[in-house]
Amino acid sequence: MDAETAAKLAAGLGIGIATLGPGIGIGYMTGRATEAIARQPEAMGDIRTTMIIGVALAEALCLYAFVIAILLAVA
Amino acid sequence: MSAEAEANKVAGALHELNVQTIVQIPKLGPFDFSITNAVLYMWISALLVFIFYLVIAKKLKKEPGGLQTIGESLLNFSTGHLTGQFGEKGKKYYYIILTIFTYIFTMNIVGLIPKPEVLKPYTPTANINVTFGMAIVVFLITQFQGFKRHGMGYVRSWLTPPGVPVALAIPLHLIFFVVHLMGEFFKPLSLAIRLFGNTIAGHLVILVMIGLVLQYQNFLIAVPPLLFVIIMTGFEIFVAFLQAYIFALLSVIYIESAIYAGH
Repeated sequence: MDAETAAKLAAGLGIGIATLGPGIGIGYMTGRATEAIARQPEAMGDIRTTMIIGVALAEALCLYAFVIAILLAVA
Repeated sequence: MSAEAEANKVAGALHELNVQTIVQIPKLGPFDFSITNAVLYMWISALLVFIFYLVIAKKLKKEPGGLQTIGESLLNFSTGHLTGQFGEKGKKYYYIILTIFTYIFTMNIVGLIPKPEVLKPYTPTANINVTFGMAIVVFLITQFQGFKRHGMGYVRSWLTPPGVPVALAIPLHLIFFVVHLMGEFFKPLSLAIRLFGNTIAGHLVILVMIGLVLQYQNFLIAVPPLLFVIIMTGFEIFVAFLQAYIFALLSVIYIESAIYAGH
């Protein structure tokens, strides 16, 4: 396997593995937020805002890997 | 590689993500001030935002019409929900946050509108330089506010809280300082990469799907990607709003944490 093939393989594998963690995290967050809203519907606005912030922070982790994957695949 | 890309229409569809120079300006040292399509669409978006607010401000009425209602609800959204955490001390920054929100949203939407090849289509927010520029502005405001309001106490707030025994505090100071310093620099980095990554990922998916249709030119293969593109474009409009909202909201949180540092 030459260097270019290895870089492309690493890009594909890397982005695939990197989605696992944030995926699990976002799933937990949304699930818990849904539970919280079901328990206390009047707090929906606050819960939603907090959830969106948390989701955004978790999502950023995957996007770091996405940028690295682009660098690997293109460069 | 280039000959392969010519033959492969999926890769050809991705050319929309390339920066193309429109007006060539000679380089000044390492800096390239050429006007590219990214700059052009940034200017168009800025002009749209400017005209939008100008038209609203010029035609204020007692009974708000269509546009004024949008403007008023945006302003309410910005001063109430978005920047509510600033409190009294951060009143000055209400409008830059509102501008950031509207500007990013407009740039995302301008990029989503399909355009013919002649117009050199491009999404400004799918370029990391653009998002980094905005993130650096937020970073500078954050540090400026921190040092202006607390002086050296701002750096003190990065260290161990008071009341820790001296023998323990000195090594902890060092660790806390390094961690906080890294955190301060990762804040704009994550802001920039989040917006860039979300925008370019959405556009990549749409363009690859369109590329599939161009590649195979077969009715059976064309239908599912086209349906997917329609759904995905709807989702991207939602993402365009959501990312603008998140960028503004996180900016508020960062600036607010500097204004009320040490609390």
